[in-house]
Amino acid sequence: MKAGLEVHQQLATGKLFCACPAELSETVVRTVSRRLRATGGENHAIDAAAAFQAARNLTYEYEATPTSCLVELDEEPPHALNPDALDVALTMALLLDARPLDEIEVMRKIVVDGSNTSGFQRTALVAVDGRLEVAGKTYSIPTICLEEDAARKVGESKDGVRYRLDRLGIPLVEIATGPEISSGPEARAVAEELGILLRATGRVRRGIGSIREDVNVSTDGGARVELKGVQELRRIHQYVQGEVDRQNALLAAASTLRTRSARVSDDAPVDVSELLRGRATGALGEALKRGGVVLGIGLPGFGGLLAPPDGSKERLGRELADRARSSGVRGLFHSDEVPAQGVEGDLVTSLRARLGADGDSDAFVLVAAPDSEAAGRALTAVRGRAREAVEGVPEETRDPLPDGRTRYSRPLPGRDRMYPETDVPPIPVPAERLRALRARLPPHPKEVRARLVAAHGVSEEVARTLQRDGEVERFDSLVAKGHGAGLTAQLLAREIPATGDTEDPFQFPLDLLDQLLATVERGEFAKEGLGPVVAALAGGAPTVRDAVAKAGLASMSREALAALAESLVTKNAELVAAKGAGAFSPLMGDLMREVRGRRDGQEVAEVLRETLAKRASTGAT
Amino acid sequence: MSDGAPVDPWVRARSLPMGTVVLVRTSDGREWKGAVVPPHELSGDRILQLKLASGYNVGIRVGDSDRIEVVGAAPTNGNGSPRPTSRPPARGGEGWVALLTTGGTIASRVDYRTGGVRPVREESEILGFYPDLDRDGPVRVVPVFDRLSEEIGPPDWEEMARRTVDAFSQGARGVVIAHGTDTLAYTSAALSFLLENLPGPVVVVGAQRSPDRPSSDGFTNMAAAVRLARHPEIGEVVVVMHDGLSDDRFAIHRGTRVRKMHSSRRDAFRSRNGPPIGWIEGSTVHLARPFRARSEGLAVYSGPMGTAAAVLWFQPGLEPSRAEAYVAGAAGVIIAGTGLGHVALNHLPWIRAAIARGTTVAMTTQCLEGVADPFVYATGRELSRAGVVYLGDMLPETAYTKLLWALGRSQDPAVVRDLLLAPRAGEVEPRHDAEDHP
Repeated sequence: MKAGLEVHQQLATGKLFCACPAELSETVVRTVSRRLRATGGENHAIDAAAAFQAARNLTYEYEATPTSCLVELDEEPPHALNPDALDVALTMALLLDARPLDEIEVMRKIVVDGSNTSGFQRTALVAVDGRLEVAGKTYSIPTICLEEDAARKVGESKDGVRYRLDRLGIPLVEIATGPEISSGPEARAVAEELGILLRATGRVRRGIGSIREDVNVSTDGGARVELKGVQELRRIHQYVQGEVDRQNALLAAASTLRTRSARVSDDAPVDVSELLRGRATGALGEALKRGGVVLGIGLPGFGGLLAPPDGSKERLGRELADRARSSGVRGLFHSDEVPAQGVEGDLVTSLRARLGADGDSDAFVLVAAPDSEAAGRALTAVRGRAREAVEGVPEETRDPLPDGRTRYSRPLPGRDRMYPETDVPPIPVPAERLRALRARLPPHPKEVRARLVAAHGVSEEVARTLQRDGEVERFDSLVAKGHGAGLTAQLLAREIPATGDTEDPFQFPLDLLDQLLATVERGEFAKEGLGPVVAALAGGAPTVRDAVAKAGLASMSREALAALAESLVTKNAELVAAKGAGAFSPLMGDLMREVRGRRDGQEVAEVLRETLAKRASTGAT
Repeated sequence: MSDGAPVDPWVRARSLPMGTVVLVRTSDGREWKGAVVPPHELSGDRILQLKLASGYNVGIRVGDSDRIEVVGAAPTNGNGSPRPTSRPPARGGEGWVALLTTGGTIASRVDYRTGGVRPVREESEILGFYPDLDRDGPVRVVPVFDRLSEEIGPPDWEEMARRTVDAFSQGARGVVIAHGTDTLAYTSAALSFLLENLPGPVVVVGAQRSPDRPSSDGFTNMAAAVRLARHPEIGEVVVVMHDGLSDDRFAIHRGTRVRKMHSSRRDAFRSRNGPPIGWIEGSTVHLARPFRARSEGLAVYSGPMGTAAAVLWFQPGLEPSRAEAYVAGAAGVIIAGTGLGHVALNHLPWIRAAIARGTTVAMTTQCLEGVADPFVYATGRELSRAGVVYLGDMLPETAYTKLLWALGRSQDPAVVRDLLLAPRAGEVEPRHDAEDHP
């Protein structure tokens, strides 16, 4: 099994096609409402995804913010492609040894889920055929693209979706690897290295949501599936395996369907509300009680394939239910679930007769909805999926779920959905531009790591962490001020990240770090206390002194330390008598906990040894 | 071409049919495979555009030692030739609306082959674009011509007017005219003068966004226009376009009172010197001001338009000789003067001379709001004494079309003057409220 990674990184240059800043905002200036129609771009071949979305007849609400303008509202033509953003994309191309195009052509990619006010996303291919080396293995980088981010969803109702325009137009650099990744750790390492390279450009946005990863899974005999927004890359293995299992189950079902010559008809769905009224319970019963309807279709040949007997998690019935759900209707019931929701016995016989699914190898599907139009739409989607099931596995975009499975999201975009964005002129990439970028290329992260290791003795892992978090510059500056490399590295690569990855992380300014290090180096508290002091600062302590006090680390005198050691040894007299010098280890742990960083660990060990030695020599008291 | 002379690969590339799949090997060892697509008008020198399998277009510079190999023929359906989603029109039935198409964004498609904009002609094509159109009753499409609206001129206004009269005489309840937005307001004003005695609404409509875009305002504009064309009481020329930036509200503008006030916004069209006549929200038409009622008789064509009119937009420093040269030979001039209708007084001599020759000179304000009034300042009084006709709050563009229409009725300057001043289609509004200024 193999997977490919697609990384989308937001840039901190201005927006891609207008003069707005690339910033999110909580201020809503005005809201407009729009409808989007299914069009096929210039070919007018309305593609499946577009028609699918438009059929839902939704209204989209768009919130304009101080960081969006008429371009995001689709009221003004796009401006020329942001040259700074293109420089970042070209810099990445050079860092990844990829070939930039001679001329960049911006395209429109039709997207009708409302996340772009114009109904399409502007995207351009910038470079091809790069490569990335991670831990001795080389990965291909087939494409590097530059595109605009979509509006962000802020709400949903049954009539429509609400988006905010602050994110629309923020530039994204998209870097795709070939399908060469086969484990979670591998994916994480590749993603991290790409992240480090991107940050080396110095022009990327930071913070939650600024980088997103998708996984593309291709299996033999199956179909290409995109998993959008995989949050935990270490689980990639789980997702890929899950996808392989799912596709295998679907291929087996397809084979059976073909053997049975199953065919999906176009007959109108049948309203079976009256058959079920008074008998159905559960979701079907509830829907009828609320004044809704239940419609059904027969699926000859599909019997037993919707929920296979071995109870595997992957089944065709779930795929059908997901299609119904994405057309806006929850609550699909199929014949393999029988008996359930009151559908049993003679009721089943009647339903089978009404829906033309009499045989044992036939199935039927019921959908409950507020009205027959909604139910009809859901069943049309279900029928479409049933047809695909006879063929095999459809290409799709799927959402990863927390339990390692995936759920249908929408059809995969086809190439028909892309056509030229004629409002933006093509952008030449002359040799001079590349030469100028090459001259300004940031040092390759590999070189930076090598330097840190060689010059300062930090480990390769610590060096990578500093890079990952963008802390190399500050590390260099603090070390240049005379602070010890080890302590500085501990502070930047361990203690600060330990304060947590929250929505609004505490920013440690450089002079604060300088002060903090100086305080430790003066001996005002021990380096073991660095963690608690940093935590206290992150928690709001206004100065280093206050943080030290808050962490309970006001310095402990040598005498106090000796007294503490004494009392601990006394408390544990039996242990000491029994083990002698061997009591050192357990007591050291206890003593360190008591000292809590107020004195250096080495010193604590020394004092404890002295105390134990004294006790041993004076004998039991 | 002599034997042995190699064909420049660039020349060869340009001769290939659109959609041909090629493999390009450049001299630096790079390889590209894709379908040949039309170059962008602004593409660089020797840049070949290919569509890759992913759907992305790339621009590759073809050097003279690069190699191009054809690896696949162009698909027979033309690899992008439009496959229109079309429907046959519903025929017959009472209460049909005529939809006159003249080109413009609203009835055009982006042609993948030429990269240009191609007007939609076929009735079924239009209905394929706008499937909701005949929801309330039949719509018959009448292709009139295919022009970007900046190419339209007075003979085209005459043609549109005549076809409107024809449609009404064949029993149409109302007429919708699909038009490019750039000069839409000129057309609506011209038609207001060229048409009399209308038995139903004439609704001019456009789109600021092309219909290949899912967000096109054309869909909802067209539906609103057709809905209004069925209104049982209105008998005048109006414009229907978005009111505000949402898709749920449309303004009904009097054809002589409206102007395109923004180059790209959906709500670019604004009534000037007063609010729109009304609004359309959902299926509700709300009329807020008096309108001309439909007549029981036949529509009348009152053309043709005259010729040789001009609009002179005054600027400080404009040399009188330049202005004079500009209007030489004109039968009539509309001046868009500053403020209440002023020009620098060193222009008086050529103005007097023109009037003496029989040229009609009329004044409007380049403020586009408020009245042109000759009595408040000495400049106005001088111009008025010289024979310049002051046109109140008439828009310069509307005045231009009215002038042409008047020149079509008479060559006598005194008659032309009287016609300009006589209210005819709501082009002058005597009453202005504080709330009128948008």
